Amino acid sequence: MSEKYIIQIKNLTKIFGDGVEIKALDGVDLNIERGEFLAIIGPSGSGKSTLLNQIGILDTPTSGTILLDGVDVTEMSDKKRSITRNKQLGFIFQYHHLLPDFNALENVMMPLLISGIKSSQARKTAKEVLAEVGLADRMDHRPNQLSGGQNQRVAIARALVNKPSVVIGDEPTGNLDSKASDNIYELLRKLNQEHNQTFILVTHDVRMAEKTDRIIRLVDGRIAGNSKNST
Amino acid sequence: MYELFIAIRHLTSRRRQTFFSVLAVGLAVMLLMWSQALMVGFTDVMYEKTVDRMAHVTVEPQEGEDYIHLYRNLIENINGIDGVVGISPVLTGAATFEYKGKNKNVAMQGIQVEAHDSVMFINDNIIEGSFRDLEISPNSVVVGDALAEKLDVEIGDTIDASFPEANPVNLKVVGIYNSGTPMDETLAFTSLSTVQDFLDVSNVVTTILVRGNDRERAQAISEKIDTFGYPASGWKETNPEIIQTLKIEGTSNAITLGLIIIIASFGIVSTLFMVVMEKTKEIGMLMAMGVSRRSIMMIFVMESGILGLLGAIMGVTVGALLAIKMGSYDYGFEVMAGISSINFVVRFQDAAIIVLFTFLLNLIAGIYPASRASKLKPVEAIGRD
Ligand SMILES: Nc1ncnc2c1ncn2[C@@H]1O[C@H](COP(=O)(O)OP(=O)(O)O)[C@@H](O)[C@H]1O
Ligand SMILES: [Mg+2]
Repeated sequence: MSEKYIIQIKNLTKIFGDGVEIKALDGVDLNIERGEFLAIIGPSGSGKSTLLNQIGILDTPTSGTILLDGVDVTEMSDKKRSITRNKQLGFIFQYHHLLPDFNALENVMMPLLISGIKSSQARKTAKEVLAEVGLADRMDHRPNQLSGGQNQRVAIARALVNKPSVVIGDEPTGNLDSKASDNIYELLRKLNQEHNQTFILVTHDVRMAEKTDRIIRLVDGRIAGNSKNST
Repeated sequence: MYELFIAIRHLTSRRRQTFFSVLAVGLAVMLLMWSQALMVGFTDVMYEKTVDRMAHVTVEPQEGEDYIHLYRNLIENINGIDGVVGISPVLTGAATFEYKGKNKNVAMQGIQVEAHDSVMFINDNIIEGSFRDLEISPNSVVVGDALAEKLDVEIGDTIDASFPEANPVNLKVVGIYNSGTPMDETLAFTSLSTVQDFLDVSNVVTTILVRGNDRERAQAISEKIDTFGYPASGWKETNPEIIQTLKIEGTSNAITLGLIIIIASFGIVSTLFMVVMEKTKEIGMLMAMGVSRRSIMMIFVMESGILGLLGAIMGVTVGALLAIKMGSYDYGFEVMAGISSINFVVRFQDAAIIVLFTFLLNLIAGIYPASRASKLKPVEAIGRD
């Protein structure tokens, strides 16, 4: 089982608030295959971001377990979480969240430097990945010198540079016009097929969602739909 | 060391804040360095004016004795001690001086002029006549200017000296000195043999005064003399109040200025707090990339430390240059009694201590905002898009 599934989520619940409790996730069960390209859709406030944050170990669930490659991430020490985020997970958010004081190349190098890789090696790898996302000629630009779509490409390169097994995107194109989003989706799809990494993307864009392997539909913190797309 | 890479980039990206933080610490440190140089210089002058004018070590008769017998032997032994540059045997006796109906009780000190000058620099204080004449003309005396005034004597006048059980003698005034101390009214110098005749003793002295090449050697010298069987004491024992005064002034000075640096460092803390607030999303993203809490903490502590170090080095350099510049300037009027320039002493050890102190202080000060940053929760820091 754990060979086939990179992520196994069991009875995951997340409750916010001390006074008025909000059940953002309510007993979610979900298995995700290695190399799968998964879309999560659902109305605003249905718990999509909360689910991604739990998978990305940016937050801890109220109850339930998440096995990442067979290891329960909810039990991890703080240090182990950092290492797992660095080596196994890649994040892309709606806003690029690039470090404003560093240029594109340095931003992409950062996950490598954090993992302790020599700066010369990191530079080489980061350049390759930047070229892959089509930004070979913009490497020394800072985020404020790049367009929204370009910044998002840098953020994708940063998410992929450490070759994580799971890439998480929370509305990665939510801030872009439709042409730019199309390009980004095509890029993500291409990378997914080339590197056999697992992609989990939250999106509002049904047209995009239909191009993925599977669509998970969340409503009120529960899985209300789980449909495979035919290819 | 990506933490250092990030810390330095943060500082170079917000140049204005960095500049003012460094400036604030730099100014405080400059003030501390400058005033430390002034303080050390002032202390040196104080020592020159007090300790350097007194005997470094005083040797007294053995327990139960009135005199040091066989003092020539003892002097020879003392002469063999490392660092001794002057030895003066002194015989002191009480006397009543009388001139034309005016009386004054004085301490009459018999000295060997050369030897005594090598310890006490008496020749520097002569204002009329000379000490040397004490050894040229027998039964002569050098009096302080205050005493001369009291008795109304001038060079060439003859004073009657007497005391119960002493042999009365007539002393011709051959010199008048001014040491600027109360001694000027009560201490009169004659030759050693004159006092010996007066007290009817021979080959004895009451004290031996010693000078070392360094005032700080006084303790070692006096301990060595103790081993010869004669009680000796260094100037710190005979004048504990000097050390006390200088110590208190030095400490209160350092405390005041240390406080200024602490305040300047608090400026850095508040700047860092602002930076942590500004960079909350960035910190969240760094955590998402796998930066541990410890490393987040390190980044901000480093920033504080670097600011402190830059400020300290800048402040010490400018403060020292300022002190050197002001120290070599002749003000053309008397700043302190007898000196028309301010004495600054810039010591490397002071600079090193100040830099180290400021650096450590800023490292410690950085811990609070840094730990705030490290305690952010990644989801909350990144925020909801
Ligand atoms: N940090 C939080 N504190 C309190 N409530 C939260 C927090 N994060 C999310 N929620 C609530 O949880 C529910 C799910 O939110 P979210 O996962 O962001 O939804 P989605 O991403 O699907 O729009 C919402 O009702 C939201 O208000
Ligand atoms: Mg959301």
